[in-house]
Formats: sequence, structure tokens, C-alpha cells
Amino acid sequence: MKMSEQKSGSQNVLRLMVCEMAHLSRPDGSATTFQGDTCVMTSVYGPTEVRMAKEQIDRTTVEVVYKPKSGLPSCAEKSLENIICNTCENILLGNAHPRSAINITVQEVQDSGSFTACCINCCCLALLDAGIGMKCTMAAVNCCIDNEENIIVDPTRKEEEQSQAVLTFAFDSKDKNIITVITKGKYSQQQFQKCLVLCRDASDSVFKFYRETMEKKLSKT
Amino acid sequence: MAADVKTAQPLQYYRKFIEKDVRPDERTLEEFRPTVLNIGCVTTAEGSALVKLGNTTVMCGIKAEIASPKTEEPKKGYIVPNVELGPLCSILFRPGPPGDQAQRLSQFTNDVITHSCCINKEDLCIVPGKYVWVLYCDMVCLNYDGNISDACVLALLAALKNTSLPKVVWDEDTETIETDHNTTTQLNIICEPVSSTFSIFDNEVLLVDPTVEEESLSTGEVTIVTIDDKICMIRKPGGSPLTPQQLDLCINRSFIRSQEVIRLIQETLNSVDR
Amino acid sequence: MPTDTRRITGPESSVSPYSFCKIQEPQPLFNSQDLRKDGRKCDQVRPIFLKTGVVSKAQGSAYLEQDGTKVICAVYGPRAVIKKEEFSMKGQLRCDFKYTTFSCKYRRQYQQDNEEKDYSVQLLEALEPAVLLHKFPKAQVNIYVTVLQNDGSALAASITCSSVALCDAGIEMYDLVTGCSTRLAGDRLLLDPCKHEEYSSKEHSEVNNGSVTVGLMPSLNQISAVTSSGEIQFEHLKKAINKCSEICVQLYPVCQQSLSKSVKENIKENT
Repeated sequence: MKMSEQKSGSQNVLRLMVCEMAHLSRPDGSATTFQGDTCVMTSVYGPTEVRMAKEQIDRTTVEVVYKPKSGLPSCAEKSLENIICNTCENILLGNAHPRSAINITVQEVQDSGSFTACCINCCCLALLDAGIGMKCTMAAVNCCIDNEENIIVDPTRKEEEQSQAVLTFAFDSKDKNIITVITKGKYSQQQFQKCLVLCRDASDSVFKFYRETMEKKLSKT
Repeated sequence: MAADVKTAQPLQYYRKFIEKDVRPDERTLEEFRPTVLNIGCVTTAEGSALVKLGNTTVMCGIKAEIASPKTEEPKKGYIVPNVELGPLCSILFRPGPPGDQAQRLSQFTNDVITHSCCINKEDLCIVPGKYVWVLYCDMVCLNYDGNISDACVLALLAALKNTSLPKVVWDEDTETIETDHNTTTQLNIICEPVSSTFSIFDNEVLLVDPTVEEESLSTGEVTIVTIDDKICMIRKPGGSPLTPQQLDLCINRSFIRSQEVIRLIQETLNSVDR
Repeated sequence: MPTDTRRITGPESSVSPYSFCKIQEPQPLFNSQDLRKDGRKCDQVRPIFLKTGVVSKAQGSAYLEQDGTKVICAVYGPRAVIKKEEFSMKGQLRCDFKYTTFSCKYRRQYQQDNEEKDYSVQLLEALEPAVLLHKFPKAQVNIYVTVLQNDGSALAASITCSSVALCDAGIEMYDLVTGCSTRLAGDRLLLDPCKHEEYSSKEHSEVNNGSVTVGLMPSLNQISAVTSSGEIQFEHLKKAINKCSEICVQLYPVCQQSLSKSVKENIKENT
């Protein structure tokens, strides 16, 4: 199922977003998301059985596995798994499925900038596809501050590498509060505030994209 | 009586204190625990530091070794930080390879060093393309009482400031190097990253420098690393959503903390020199 | 070495800068005034600093500093046995001895190597006779020893430190175990050797060159462990063990003092 949002040319607007859902037959939910050239594939199994050691009596246990394109997963991958896990835990209705687990597997297909944001968006779409109860949806946006102090929303990989700082924000759909912030590089407090405002505005388009994707998916079935 | 409530209903116990803007260990919500710093305690290491943040104790030791550089970066040395959370420091950890939390902390300290650029890796070059220094920074936790990330970053920074490398002489004729441990050069630290961690309690209240009980009850966590008046890293991996105003409060508090910590490091270094 | 995916890895291989040092001649053990390099006589031990309760999260802990040798020990237990198959009516004691990577001149590995595994077993053998194991059946007590800095006699220091930590944890014991080590160099006995005075089988191959470590229970006057390495004649070995035992007895009041101090502080806090 494809849905596209075409906008480009402006610095403060996101790249073309494309999503294909329910294309994997085994998992309960799956989504492949393209943000420009960056591509991530996510599958969700759940609610399902959980290992005794990880069981929580009053809520669901979210387990995330991130697989890089090549090489064995190491500390950096563990860090990303933790970010995605905590972000998803926050939006899921944990109390609806106690003593169960939701397993999310994220596969990197191509990293051409805004990778963390793409992963989080893809997870949200896969969870929507799996039909697991959520309090709200979340939208993640990347931005970077380049050497001339300009702020670029949804940068490409080249722009990220040449920038002085890269910031990733994830917002919830209810009050647009900040669920997740991950930043790299040095910047001032004022620059941080500006990025926050720009990314918040940009997240509107991501939420709109989710609605359109779900509308198309549900209208066909 | 209070001890029973604390064990049976820890959340209620904490709520009663937080309503009055204070915590069970008599700190206000914005107060850090008393920090004790000891630099240069291990003489077998090239640099070392011991940090006590309340009860949380972390010792960082830096060993320098010589290796050949990467072919694509012939003048850059290596800095390899690793955090060890062993069974010695708490009942939560089992003996064996590093668990998830230790791996995340190692990655966190690695990110702090890379993104803050506190050391110029070209300073670690001995002979371009042939020999460079490798600094293995190992942080061992000796007592786990919450807020390990702040303690690790502080211990790492203090140990790096204490690191001195032996002089190396390159003999062009025989193409060998010779080290002289009697003359040492201090490592040049460009900037001083300082980390502050806040935990979110009950989706609303922000607690500075959480203990291990507060961490287990928290609904989210924010770590902010600052350098002088710039922010180097903000890490809020999920957890309760925050408004931009709350995040601003955290950032302001971290700037204040950063100045306190840098003063502490300076005072400790001065007392060591004397 | 195989890449460790659970840690941040550096270059594939690196060498210690000490390998590129000018080869120094081995220094004599005694100088012209018959004193050792740090000014001690051959039967003088370094002063000990002992403190208990350093790891607040453990049931019992102790920190021992003997000039350059710094050891920290934490005791957890009695607690349920982790492996259910090893059921026994006697309690179990498990010791884990580890050097930190920066504790020695040459950087050590993250995993326990053979020397550390060997020391763990020797530590266990030294402590087991002193503990009333039948008082905690089906349970185990874990002792974790970390050497922060090694300047010789690490095993002896660990024995003393662990028994004080066990006592701090409230584990019932017949007696404390104090440790002392000595280096034999021909006819001379060097008590409590520093790192450069320690015996190494590669460097010293003459007869009567070796090291002896003794773990003694002072009030019972019983030796719980003896380790020796090197080719030693019986008379010299006997002399070494006797000398070590004398020193172990001298260490006893230091341990008692630190323990009674911590008990007094505990009582003061709780009243």
C-alpha cells in the first residue's frame, strides 16, 4: 500500500515520504518507510509470550531488535534499540496487555540522512498496522545545524556529515510534547529552541502522512 | 513504620515527600548529591580519577598503548572508553560480559568524547601512518546508587586531565621508537563536558541526580551534557513527554551544574599539584 | 583478538609502551645499607589502611590499602543459589578475584585470565575453613574482590580484605583470616614484596628463589592456606611460613580495630 506526500525544494519541509504496510505475511504488523532515500523496514509481533525474566505483571514488555545493514550489532546499535524501545513504550497502552511482550524488529535498508527519525516513524506505522492499542501516535523529525548556522529540517546524509550538530525530536500527537530528544554536536540554547519549533511544525506533515496512509489502507480492505 | 511503607508502597512513600518539594534523603528536587573527586589515585595507570556522587562511586583508569593508525586516518589516535558494571557494585548485576546498561553507558561516553571533541585525536599521533597512542579509558563502578552517567563522565574528564604520556623518540635510521618514562607530557584537553541527569517522576516532576530507588520509580530520564555555554548532547530516550519549558529548566540547571563541577575539578587539581 | 561486540573496541592490536623502553638491568634487591628499594628492612611490612562499609549496596564490604596495593571487596549473601542443581546442606562460598585493566604495569584483559582464576580458587581455599558454612544451608555467599592497583602481595591483601568484608556482612565465622606473603631470595626473606621484588619463574631460576603466601587464623593459630612457587628447600620454606605467620598475627589488631570502629559508628547512627 503506497501513499506519498510530495513536497520538496524548501529548506524547512520534509522529503518525499512513502510507506508500504502489511507486505510481510508472518508478522502481526509490518511497514517499510522511505524518507527521501532513507529506508527502514520494521516488523511487529504482539502481544505475544514473554520470557519469565522480562515479565512485568502490570504492563507489556517492549523488546526491540535493531539490525544494521552489515556487521554484527554492537554498542551503538544497543543504544538505538534503547531509544526506540523507550519511545514506543511511552505511546503504547501498556496496561492493556500485562505479562505479554511486543517484539519490534527494525532493519536498516539504507541510511541517507534522518535515520533515527525514519526508524521511529516506521515503528509507529508498523504498530498501527498491527493494531496494537496506543495512547497517541508519534512523529519524529531530524534537523541539523550547518556551519553557517542555518537550520535544515530532514537533512540528507551529506548535509548531516557537514553540519555542526544533528538533532532528532519525537513528538506525541496529543499535545505535541517532546517524547524523545537525541542530539549530536555542539549548539547553543537559542539554536535548540529554534530547531524545536521548526521540527514541531514539520511534525504536522508527518501526522498528516500517517492519516492518509491509514485511510488508504482501510478504504481498500 | 516509614520503612514498611517504603518497601510495600514505594510510589506513595515518594509522593508524600515530593508534595512538600523535598526528597527522602533531605535534598530539594534540584539539588545534586555531594560530589567528592580524587585525581591521580592509581599510579600504575597513565591517568586516573575516583568520583563519589553521594554513594555512587566510579573509578576511571586510563592506560595508554601504542598501535598503528587506520589507513584512512593516519594521524589520528584512538580513545576507547568502556564502562564496567560488575557484580561488586550492586545486586542487580551478574558476573559475565557487559549487559545492556553497561553497553549503553559505554556508547554514551563514547558519544560524549566524539561529539564534544574534548581531545584532538591528532595530539595522539607519534609517527603519522605508523604509530599512534590508544587511550583505553576504563570506568569501573564500585558502588551503584543511581546516576551512573554523570559520575562516569566526570571521572573520565578528571582522569583525562590527569593523563600524562611518556616521551617517544623516533629513530629514522632503524625505524624504531623508544619510550622514555622519565619525561612525560600532559594531555591537552580542549573543553570540559559535564553531564547532568534528571529523572521524571509521575509524568510531571523533575528530579535532579536520581538515586537508584528514584530511577526505578521514574517514568523517564533526561541527560544533558554541556560545555561552557553550549550544549553538547541532550539524550531523552522516550519516557514521559516534556513541554519545551520543562526542558528549558533542565538546560538552565545543567549550565549551573557545569560551572560547579569545573570549579571542583580545578580545586582538586590545584590541591594535587601542591 | 576477536572483536568484542559488547564493548567499544579500539584497534585490532596494541602494544604497551613499556615494550619499547630501554632494557634496564635488573636492580639489586638490597642497596648498600641493606635496605630495600623503598627503604624497608627485609622483615618490615608496609602499613595497612582498612575501612569497612565502602560499598553501601553490599551486605558487607572492605577496602584495604597497603601503600601501592589497593584492594576492594564486596560480600553479597547469604542468598539463594543461582544454579538450582547444586543443592547442598552446607552453604556455598564463591570467590571472584579480578584485577582492573589499569591496575598493573601492563594492561590486563577484561575477562578473567588464568592467573586471576587461580587466585580466586586460592582465596576460596583460604576463607572456607573460617566460615560456618552449615549456618546457611542451600544458600551461597558471593565474595567479589577487585584489585584497583597492584604493587605486590595482591593475594595476601585480598585474603585479609575479604575476611574483614565477610565479618562486616555479619556472616558467622570461627575467626578472621589474615594474609601475608614473602619472597625468598637465596638466604634472605623479603616480607610483603613490592611488584618489582616479587618472584617470577621466568626471571629467577636459582634454588631457594620463590614466593610463599600464608593465610592464618590468628586466635585459633591455624593456617588455612599456604601457597608457594619456586624450588625451595624445606628448611627455608619452614622459616618463610613461620615468618609469615608472625606477621599475620600482627595484622590481627588492625582488622579488629577497623571492625569495632564500624560497629560503634553503626550503633551511634541507629540510636
